[in-house]
Amino acid sequence: MTLDNDIITFLSAMTEASSLFVAAAGLTLVFGAMRIINLAHGSFYMYGAFLVTAIVGAAGGGRFWLALALAPLAVAGIGTVVELTVLRRVYRRDHLVQLVVTYALFLILADLALRFWGTQARSVAPPSLLSGSVSIGSSSFPVYDLFAIGAAVVVGLALWVLLQHTALGWRIRAAVEDPEMLATSGTNVPLLSTTVLAIGALLAGLAGALASPLQSISPGLDASIIVQAFIVAVIGGLGSVTGAAIGAVIISLFDTAGVLWAHSWEPAFIYLAMIVVLALRPWGLLGAPER
Amino acid sequence: MMLSTTGSTAPPDSPLLDEVRSTSAATEPRRPRTRVAVRFGGLAALVAVLALMPSTLSATSLLNVQSAIGLALFACATNLLVGYGGLVSFGQAAFYGIGAYTIALMWLHWQTSFWVGFIAAPVVGAAAALLVGLVALRTRRLYFALLTLAFSQLFYVIVLQQTGFTGGANGVFGAILPSFLVDPNHAYYFTLAVAVLALLALWKITRSPFGMTLRAIRENRERAEALGVNVFAHQLMAFVLAGLFCALAGTLFVVHDQSANPDLLAWTESGIPIFMSVIGGMYLFLGPALGALIYEQGRDVVLASFSDWQLAFGVMLLVIVLFAPQGVLGLLAGGRDAVWRRWRTLRR
Repeated sequence: MTLDNDIITFLSAMTEASSLFVAAAGLTLVFGAMRIINLAHGSFYMYGAFLVTAIVGAAGGGRFWLALALAPLAVAGIGTVVELTVLRRVYRRDHLVQLVVTYALFLILADLALRFWGTQARSVAPPSLLSGSVSIGSSSFPVYDLFAIGAAVVVGLALWVLLQHTALGWRIRAAVEDPEMLATSGTNVPLLSTTVLAIGALLAGLAGALASPLQSISPGLDASIIVQAFIVAVIGGLGSVTGAAIGAVIISLFDTAGVLWAHSWEPAFIYLAMIVVLALRPWGLLGAPER
Repeated sequence: MMLSTTGSTAPPDSPLLDEVRSTSAATEPRRPRTRVAVRFGGLAALVAVLALMPSTLSATSLLNVQSAIGLALFACATNLLVGYGGLVSFGQAAFYGIGAYTIALMWLHWQTSFWVGFIAAPVVGAAAALLVGLVALRTRRLYFALLTLAFSQLFYVIVLQQTGFTGGANGVFGAILPSFLVDPNHAYYFTLAVAVLALLALWKITRSPFGMTLRAIRENRERAEALGVNVFAHQLMAFVLAGLFCALAGTLFVVHDQSANPDLLAWTESGIPIFMSVIGGMYLFLGPALGALIYEQGRDVVLASFSDWQLAFGVMLLVIVLFAPQGVLGLLAGGRDAVWRRWRTLRR
């Protein structure tokens, strides 16, 4: 195998990692602040992708940038409604109740998606600006994939700035540490929870929208992405955005290695990776042991 | 290993309906004998009604009830972990699927009879649960749920990918059943008998010193540890037993469907027994069984009239979890207790 091919393989893995990271970052952010694994996060991802197809289709093609901006915002809106009506009732309940409630939301959103978009698989073409490919040595690589990688890096940096250098960020980090102290010192914690869930949903919708030209979009996307996203988040350590980035890269490299060297066992690799990590470090690579 | 530190156990005064977590049970005096007789009678009547189903129901409805009985066992076995042990396993579908595949694959590759597979399936299920439990029980709470989910997905993708051995996405189907079980009535009675015997065994387990210790661990793990209970060993034992009975429920799936398919092991399937427990009432022994019945019959009713079963089911789950966390049987039991108290005060 030549060096060019190795670079292409690596970049393909990073493309896969890019949308995984954005989805997992939302999941881990919500978990960090609210201690809740939101299974409906997978639905948000699928809605992001479906909304892109709907907007691009309705605008007569070519409105990809508009769709990329609007779809995540619409999903954030759905997330806000879900938080206000259902999720805020279960933050203080045990994790079984939280899993059941978010799974119920997952089922409801899955059937609603079937009503809106049917069972047919859809696809979206990348915008004309990003539709070609660049040559790397003797091989070529799609421009859109590079854009997706770049977008994930930007999202990662934006999250870092948000969490480390803004007032909202330190409130979110304080909520992870001690929500009661935060409430007594004058922060509107329910509003903060709604905001965090909206950001989480926005990230899920953005991940789905970014990945929409990279895959076929059909029902069932929600169940597959949520498992991958929580594996990434758990391996990295739930609550840690940096961990989610590391987890996404590890999982994508594992996946690519599996495809190359042990094709029929490839889907098992990510589960094995998660089992090994959790058996050795039950709170993930960068996570903190649960209090 | 099954060391009990809870001292003498409470008298088993309420067959199959013992309250696992009831705020009133601790303060209530021992229930009068008439009430015990009423409950025994009620359960005997329930089994009698189920036994009479073949002569009253159409073939399709009978198959539905048979399916619900199998799922009732699946749900009650899962509830040994979720309700009694406080261990939220999101991977019990793996053992359910292993039960079905043990019969199907032994039949496919070694032409063994159904009965050999039927005996082997719970053993294989228990062995798999032992291996999974040894790793998964190192984690706690949410991480345990996610790790058991990962294990079940591991089994799922292996079954899906190793097409040569497992038949891949198509699964295994064919003349797996012996001639005796091909008759629908025989299949129904066999399912009912296996489920009733297995549920009795499970009930005995939950009422044993082991079952009491398991609940004590759920309520206060640190205290149980301080009292000298080997928490890990008890939880591992519960996990193995749940795996055994889930695999047994999986064999009943083969009796019903004459096939095994990979979807039996998918993570979405693992949610089903948990939801059945939540709907029926996870803190009553037969709650999950009632949940299974509601789930199976409800699906038929909704699909016939409304088509969006998942939507209706999701809404039902939300309403029950948010507003009636004790489940349907819990609500019924609460109502019955209120009526009973009222009757007793009137009689005085």
